Amino acid sequence: MHSSTKAGASMVSEQELSGTPQLALGLKLPDYSAFENFVADTNAQALAAVRQLSEGRLSGVVYLCGPAGSGKSHLLQAACRHAHEQGRRTLYLPLTSFQPLGADALEGLDRLDLLALDGIDGMAGVGEAETALFHLVRRVLDRQGCLLVAAAQPPSGIHWQLPDLASRLASGPVIRLQLLDDEGRARALCLRARHRGMTLGEEAARYLLRRYSRNPVALFSLLDELDTASLAAKRRLTIPFLREALHAWQQRHHPGD
Amino acid sequence: MNQTTESTLWQQCLHYLEGQMPEQQLNTWIRPLQAVEDGECLRLLAPNRFVQDWVGQNFIETIENVVSELGGEQTRRVSLEVGSTAIPVISGGDTATTGTGSQSRGPEHTVVRGNRLNRGFTFENFVEGKSNQLATAAARQVAENPGEAYNPLFIYGGVGLGKTHLMHSVGNQLLRNGKSRVVYQHSEGFVGDMVKALQHNTINEFKRFYRTVDALLIDDIQFFAGKERSQEEFFHTFNALLEGQKQVILTCDRFPREVDGLEERLKSRFGWGLTVAIEPPELETRVAILKKKADQAGTALPDEVAFFIAKRIRSNVRELEGALRRVMANAHFTGQEISLDFAREALRDLLAMQEKLVTIENIQKTTAEYFKIRVGELLSSRRSRSVARPRQIAMALAKELTTHSLPEIGDAFGGRDHTTVLHACRKIRELRESQPRVEEDYLNLLRTLTG
Repeated sequence: MHSSTKAGASMVSEQELSGTPQLALGLKLPDYSAFENFVADTNAQALAAVRQLSEGRLSGVVYLCGPAGSGKSHLLQAACRHAHEQGRRTLYLPLTSFQPLGADALEGLDRLDLLALDGIDGMAGVGEAETALFHLVRRVLDRQGCLLVAAAQPPSGIHWQLPDLASRLASGPVIRLQLLDDEGRARALCLRARHRGMTLGEEAARYLLRRYSRNPVALFSLLDELDTASLAAKRRLTIPFLREALHAWQQRHHPGD
Repeated sequence: MNQTTESTLWQQCLHYLEGQMPEQQLNTWIRPLQAVEDGECLRLLAPNRFVQDWVGQNFIETIENVVSELGGEQTRRVSLEVGSTAIPVISGGDTATTGTGSQSRGPEHTVVRGNRLNRGFTFENFVEGKSNQLATAAARQVAENPGEAYNPLFIYGGVGLGKTHLMHSVGNQLLRNGKSRVVYQHSEGFVGDMVKALQHNTINEFKRFYRTVDALLIDDIQFFAGKERSQEEFFHTFNALLEGQKQVILTCDRFPREVDGLEERLKSRFGWGLTVAIEPPELETRVAILKKKADQAGTALPDEVAFFIAKRIRSNVRELEGALRRVMANAHFTGQEISLDFAREALRDLLAMQEKLVTIENIQKTTAEYFKIRVGELLSSRRSRSVARPRQIAMALAKELTTHSLPEIGDAFGGRDHTTVLHACRKIRELRESQPRVEEDYLNLLRTLTG
């Protein structure tokens, strides 16, 4: 996979080199979610099931639930990426971002090799959306396709108007993702950084956890800023550098504090 | 796997975009596109109109720029349409404009032929029990004497209890008995076919297709509710088939009379044949279902494990199978044998989720609603039968469904002593055995709370 991202990056650098001074941008590698940068720990079985589904070795529904930051979206994105690399046709649809979502958004998606629906609880209680989702799930199951869904709650914990929908969503493995402990989060952050070509030590990662946030999503997006800052300053991600960078970041975003 | 036409130009374009766009946008809009190099044109196929429109509005310019840069000397146009390389796309010959102009689609706008029967659903692998005995007997009759015994056969019942399985079983048996034209269709598919036929002026073809079958199996007819034109069309199809002594089988999630938004004349006709219910399976049937499913999957499932799962998943067969799949997946993953401890561990979060959802408050609320009293009365010191019995049932349910101790349960019921809870549990156990009405109420509540 790295060859592809590097190919992309080298094209950027060529473009950027022609005139613009922001050399730093051209050297960045994109952030992405893959199975390789998923720290599984207690979620090893979820990872295994999702991988099987993404390779078509398992069919039907796999339902992931768990709190925000437990890795649901990561696994969905990684499954799409992996399936795509295998030549399968996939689509990742975050349902919460498309409210109000009409039935046409879901039309025809049952014919994909793998469909990943994130935040399906966002459709609960909206009659038309639920019906559209129900028919989609039913058709995927009828043709023994692969459907990966995620929500904070298990199917029985969501107030669906169509009980048929809940029961179909629970027709395959329902797996709850556990939050990583801080040690796991630090490892996840290091791994994520490494995949972007950054070097972040575990000690430095733990520092960020203490001083910035324990939420993986917030931490991963901070990497973007740190990457730019370290490239611009030509400095490594050491704790003194992180201290300065966080301070500068806070000055920019919360100047009053 | 479905990409029969691999476009290298598109692969290069994708590599470039992977360095440019957030992962989520790639997975939502770009990776689902398939590409066909068609002379001077790079045809991008979107899975539906929604994706086509979005890509057309937000990304097409970027894609065009990348393609023109990658193409070097050769200039290429980019077109965007709905389609798939898996199904041959009917070329409309009107792909003249770049962008979202083209409307050519796959062949799905014509009525899809084929019987749509699922070969996997047969009488042989349908587990019979008290809860579905009548429906199974009727279905077997119909399979042997189509158009004669019961017409229409109307099967109704809650979700995930096997209505569809039974329906397909009849269809497959009819095929084996030499009836060639058996068609299964979900009501939504029937409506969809009709709408497409109207759009493409092929309504006569539609009518001919559905009115000349030996048997028509329509699933989930509750989705006809509120769709007047479809009901009208179905009414005539139904009449034509019955007149020709062709078999009609229908399923619904409730008794026909109870479907709102369904025309009277349809409701009354549905009652002409035989209307049978499927009930939720009792413990023994649930165990038998699990054993059979495991057997089909070539997995050894000890009796004690089957009982363990069946006791905890009561709501319906579909979820029962979901739990079994979870256990089998874990066994496959770890390479371990399925034992009681193993199943308990595999289903730990599933069961914990259930327990977590069933709180004492929830039990009180549900029980009060069921008996049409207020929660306040349930917690009060009133001792009249109309309040005391529901209170005892709620206490027994709290003991069965939560991990709270007896003193905790007593506390939650207006500060009662734990011996009161113990008495309530004993009392309800006796009454469930001696009074069918109490047993029914208790099971209804149990299903509502765990369903």
